[in-house]
Formats: sequence, C-alpha cells, structure tokens
Amino acid sequence: MREKLESWLNKNMKIEMTDGRVLIGIFLCTDCHQNVILGSCVEYVKPDDDGYTEDARALGLAMVPGQHIVSICVDAP
Amino acid sequence: MEKNCESIANDTKFNWKEVTNEFIAATGELKLGELLHDEMFGLFEAMSAIEMMDPKMDAGMLCNRSKKVLNFDQALACGKLKVNNLTIEEQIGIIDDTCGCLITWLEGHSLAQTVFTNLYLHNPNAVEDKCIRAFSVVVLKLVAIVKDFVTKANVVEEEDIQPLYGFVMPCDYSDNKACAMIRDVEEEVQRKLKAIQKDSTKQNCSENDSEKYFQQENEQQLLLALYVRLKFFRLFFQSLILLKKEIFNKVQYKKLVVSANVEDIEKHLQQSSETFQFWQQTLSMGVQPDTNSDPDAHGDYPTIMGFEPLVNQRLLPPTFPRRVLMRTRKEAVNYIECLVSRLRHVCKVYDCSTFHSALDFFTDFSKSSSPSSCVLSRSILQLLYLPAPGLVFGVQPLSELLRETVRQFIKPPSLQTKSQIFANNSQAKEYIEVFFNHCARPMTSLLQISGHNRARQREKLAQALEELATLQDEAEKLDSFLNNISQKLDTPLSHMGYFSTWILYHILRVMIQYLLSGFELELYSTHEYPYIFWYLYEFLYGWMVSTLNRASNLIQEQESQNDQKGRGSKKSKAKKRKQKPHFRETLLNQAFQQLCGGYYKTVCAFKLQGKLKLPKAALNTDQIRHEHRFAAFNSVIAPPPVSYNQYKDMTEQMSLANRQNPNELYATACKCFQQAKILFENIPEPNEEICSCMKIAKTNYVVIKLLLSGHIGELKTYPEFDFSVDKVFPIIRIL
Repeated sequence: MREKLESWLNKNMKIEMTDGRVLIGIFLCTDCHQNVILGSCVEYVKPDDDGYTEDARALGLAMVPGQHIVSICVDAP
Repeated sequence: MEKNCESIANDTKFNWKEVTNEFIAATGELKLGELLHDEMFGLFEAMSAIEMMDPKMDAGMLCNRSKKVLNFDQALACGKLKVNNLTIEEQIGIIDDTCGCLITWLEGHSLAQTVFTNLYLHNPNAVEDKCIRAFSVVVLKLVAIVKDFVTKANVVEEEDIQPLYGFVMPCDYSDNKACAMIRDVEEEVQRKLKAIQKDSTKQNCSENDSEKYFQQENEQQLLLALYVRLKFFRLFFQSLILLKKEIFNKVQYKKLVVSANVEDIEKHLQQSSETFQFWQQTLSMGVQPDTNSDPDAHGDYPTIMGFEPLVNQRLLPPTFPRRVLMRTRKEAVNYIECLVSRLRHVCKVYDCSTFHSALDFFTDFSKSSSPSSCVLSRSILQLLYLPAPGLVFGVQPLSELLRETVRQFIKPPSLQTKSQIFANNSQAKEYIEVFFNHCARPMTSLLQISGHNRARQREKLAQALEELATLQDEAEKLDSFLNNISQKLDTPLSHMGYFSTWILYHILRVMIQYLLSGFELELYSTHEYPYIFWYLYEFLYGWMVSTLNRASNLIQEQESQNDQKGRGSKKSKAKKRKQKPHFRETLLNQAFQQLCGGYYKTVCAFKLQGKLKLPKAALNTDQIRHEHRFAAFNSVIAPPPVSYNQYKDMTEQMSLANRQNPNELYATACKCFQQAKILFENIPEPNEEICSCMKIAKTNYVVIKLLLSGHIGELKTYPEFDFSVDKVFPIIRIL
C-alpha cells in the first residue's frame, strides 16, 4: 500500500473539499490523518446557481486537512 | 457534485482516476507523525504551505461562507444595484465613498481592496446614470494617471502603493472624452440649479406653500453639493492631465509652452481647492451605509449601494490582509485638500534655478510636509524637475546646471569665462566635461532619495555616500591636474581644493542627514546620544562650517584678484561686499553645531549622574553600537571616519576633568544653547524649521539653567527627550 502512495508522489492530484471547492496540484506529502500537501496548487470554485463561474485562483503550496477532504483523484497517464 | 468537478477541471488535460478509498486505506498504514514525501520535500517546506479551510489563511473560504458576494452583473440582475434613476443623495454618497477608497489606495493598500470595491468602476459603460458613469470614467482615468506617474518616477517602495492584481481596467475613453463627459454632467447640474433658483424667486411672492419651498431649498442644496464634487473632480483631473503632458511630452516642447502649462495647472488646482469648504459642510448629505450590521473580521463591512468589499477577494494572493479599513469621508476630503496644496507647492519647483536650491526644495518638501507627503506628490515633484534622466525640466542638461552651480558655489578659476587654463590645453576642458557628466548620476540620486518615503531614505543615503566617495576621488585628481596647469601660467594661480570642496560639501550634507534621520526614525536609545551628538557637534558640523568658509574665502580671493585686474570696477566691489558668500548657510550650520554641542554636554552630564538608561546585556557593548551607527561612513576618505577608540581618546580628557562635576558640563551646555539661540535669531528670513529650533534652543537653555542653579535638586527620574516640536532636535524635560 505504501508503494502505491509513493507512486502517486509528484503526480497531479485533484481534491474536492467539504465546502465544494476543488484543488488541483502536485501531490507532495501526506500523513496518517490524510492531510495532503499540494504544490503549485490551483483552486476552482463550483459554479453558483446562476451558472456563473469564478476564475481559478493560484494558491501555490497548500495543505488540505484530511477532515476536509471529500474525494481524491490522481492523474493516471 | 462529481459532475461539477468534472466540468470545472478541464478534463482534456488530465485523466482522472478516483482513488479516495485506496488513499484513505494507504494513509491508515502510516504511523502517527510519520510523513510520506519525496526526498526533495521535507518538514521545512511543509511548514510554508497555507492551510486550507483555516479561517485566517484561506481567503477563498470567506466567499463560500459569509453572505454571497455579487459582482457587477449579478448585483444588477438581482436588483441590488441601480444603474439609472439614482437619487442625488445616492450619487453624493457614491462619490464621497469612492474618495475614501482612492485615499486608502494612495496610502498603500491594494487597488483591488479599495477603489475596485466600487462595482460601478467594473463596467462604467453599463451605467445609464450619466453622472455616475462620467464620475466612474474619470476615477478610472485618475487611477491610470496616478499609476503612470508613480511608475515613471520610481521613488516607490512596496509599502507606498500596491499594483493591480490581475485586474483589467475597463476604460477605453481618451482623456479629452472623459473630461468632456464630466463637464457635461457638471453643466447639467448647474442648469438644474439655475432653474430652481429662478423658480424660487418667482415663488417668493407667494410664500404660503412653505412645504414646497422647503423641498426646493433642500434640492437646491443637494444639487449644489453634487455640483461642487463634480467640479472638483473635473478640475483635479484636468490638472493631472496637464501635469502628464508637462512630464511625458516634455522633451518635444520649448520652454515657453511649458510654463504656460504650469500656470494652467496652478489655476485649476487653485480653483479646485475652493470647493473643499462646501464639500466638508455637505458630507452628511450622501446616503450612509446601514450600520446595524457590524463589520465582521473577514473583511466585510456595511456599505452603501454599489460597494462590495469582497468582490476582488479571489484576485489577491493567498496570504494577504483580509480587512482594509477604509478612510472615512471626512478624512478623505481632508486628505485631498492637503494633496492639492502639496501639488500646488510642488509646482513651485520651477523657481529653483540652481541645483542647490532644487536640492533644498526637495529635502524641505520631504521633511516639512505634514501630513507626510504621499507617493503621488513625491513622484510628481521628481518628474517635474527631471522629466527625462539628466535633463532638468526636460530642457537643460543636468551636468551643465551642475557646472553653473559649482561656479556659484566656489568660483573655480577653471570655470571662469576667460580662464587661461585651457589656452594651450584642450585636455583640461575635456576632463572637466567628463567630471560633470560623472556628477550627474550621484546628484540625481540625491534628488531621488528625497523622493522616497522618510523611512527608506536612510539606507539610501548610505549608498549615496559610496557614490560620492568615488566622485571625491575624481574631484581631487581633477583639482591637482588643473593645479599643475595653472601653476605654470604667466600669472600662476592655485587650483587646489575647488571641485573636491564642493563634493566634500555634499558628503557632509549626506552624513548629517544620515545621522539626524536616526532621531526621526527613533533608532537611537538615549544612552547612544553622547556619541551621536559628539559626532555632529565636534565633527560633522565643524567640518561643514569650515568647508563653507573655505568656499567663501576662495570666492573672495578670486574676486579680489579680478578686481585688481580690472581697475575700473571699484564701484561694483563695494556693492558685492555686502555679505559674505554662503553667509546664511554658514550661520545655520554654526547654530546647529552649537545646538548639538548643548545636547552633547547635557547628555554627558546625565551619563555621569547615571541618569541615562543603560542596556543590560553584556553583548551589547558601547563599541559595537558605535561601530554599527557609523559603519556607513567608512566608505568615505574625507572626512575620515572616527573609530570608537579615537572617540574614546578624544572625549576621555574632557570627562576626566569633569568627572566630579556635572555642573561644569551643564554650564557649558547652557552656553551652547544660548549661543545656538543667538545664531538662529541672526538668520535672515527664518523659516518654520528655524523658528522651532530657536524655540527649542531657548527652552533647553532655561531647563539646563534651572538644573544648574539647583532649583530642581537631585534628578529623581530619567530626563525625557521630547520630539514633539521637532522630529530631530528634542526638548529636554526634567520631571
């Protein structure tokens, strides 16, 4: 299982948070609480009811606490 | 929800594979506190990550949590924003609050969090209300012009002004078009006003309808208030356009056209300053925000229609101040009033004909502006004087002006019109030319330094000293080269110490400014005062006075030689001798020298009596502090830096003699302060600064005299140094 985690390191990762925002960045680090650190991270906000979408926002290095993670996707080449 | 994510994150680039459960299972195997990471990534890097969903660090979170933030289109769609049929109260409120935003921006906050919280500025073309549309366009143009000035002058630091964060300014009107728009609205308001006035004079006969009368009166006041604001913005905008022309198109203009511009600028600014009184009186007329809802900690605060504090939140860097405290309407108008008077003052720079007078103008402007000058007025001053590098007012090469300035300062024989030095030496001429070309850059940086904010000037002065030191070396070589030639002339004359004296004068100026700025910035603690004041009193001001004397003597020498040559000029001689050259400046420096002397003796006596707070830490020795304070002076050869040991040796004798008797020191301090007072009184046409120094010298004299006479008795507490009258020279207070 550990190998699997290591194989994901430095790959693009998409994390959806509890408040609906989606973060896409490079998977750099994690621990037993599923806290994840993403590098060169970009934040996307889900469109509101009128269908208006806000622009993505560059965050840089960001840590997502495990308790706020809803789903995780990995970029499979 | 899954669908949303898919649509947001452009899927063509990635091939996402859901791994949530696998991930949770895998991380479960990690031990507590164990980090899984690459070799290149460690705990240290991890520490600098911003934490998502943390209310302090995560700016994006706000938008999702508190009330919905509407942009221009959304606010318009749901009827929260009116683009037509605005009441006059609303118009006035919007204008006044926008002023608050503008000022907050000029004080260093980001545009996105200040001016562009005004939604009307996001899309002025969609605003049907002519007044607000014209106003919005003018504000956008103003922001652009201010940005141009500030960028070009380059006397800006990150704390002075913030650039846009990816915000595209939606303005495609020309300056003239924008001006015409606001003028139209202004005239329309004026017409309405006249109509009401006519109406009310008619009605005066039948006063029975008092309610209608009252209503009309009210509307008239409102229109007048609006009119005054529009008029101000039109005039202010026009003067900035003229300034822009003056600065950016300068090189192509002839001098005559230019001065006409300046007259217009002055006229516009003067007229615009007439609006402030009525503006102040009518501040309460605009709509006010609903203050029932308290401002929350996340940057949201109650606003009137058209303002949304959080609208640009996503444009800001992830870690950025959340809440910007906006200036109130009253503060904004006060600030603008000061700004206009500063700009009017800045335009007077055209009266400075010599480089020294310009330099004095620049340093005085930086020093005396109260409230301290903003980045806009500072930038404009720089640009008016040197619109293009090395070209004073865009016309005269700076090197040429410097040559003229040196001619006035010390009259070097080589710069006299009929100098024989060049008769058979073309090289000499070239060397002088090169020297002044080299001077242009360091002298420009002296001007630029005074354009920076006060706190940044100190470090830059230290850098300027290095440049001046190189120049000093060159000046000395040039002097001795010219001396070699002039000694061999038919009537031999000396050319020693002319150019080098001029450079020395500037070095001393910078050194004094450097030390004094430490007081203004509150860098020194009181136990450091002895050597700071010693350096100023015994050393820098002393050198300055002798440098000025030397210059004045050399001028007089030259003149007497000239007089001997031309016998017929006896009459003019009598006229000239009225006053020694550099009379005023010498006197001033002598006065400051005595003032510092007074402080020096006083703090020495305090020290002897153990009345200066000393630091406790052993690592923090006097010597280390001393070396740190004067480290910047080490780059200069003349005046030679005084090391700590030299300072100790020089002061030891005095303190030995007075060890038992601080009264002796107080007595000399008294004399110094008195001397300073007399010298200040003798200065012709004293300015505000000199007057307050006079007052300080006088007060200190009295205080020390009291100490000396024993009326106060033994000092019980530490004496206080009160910088409220002058930022540099304190009043000594004994409690």
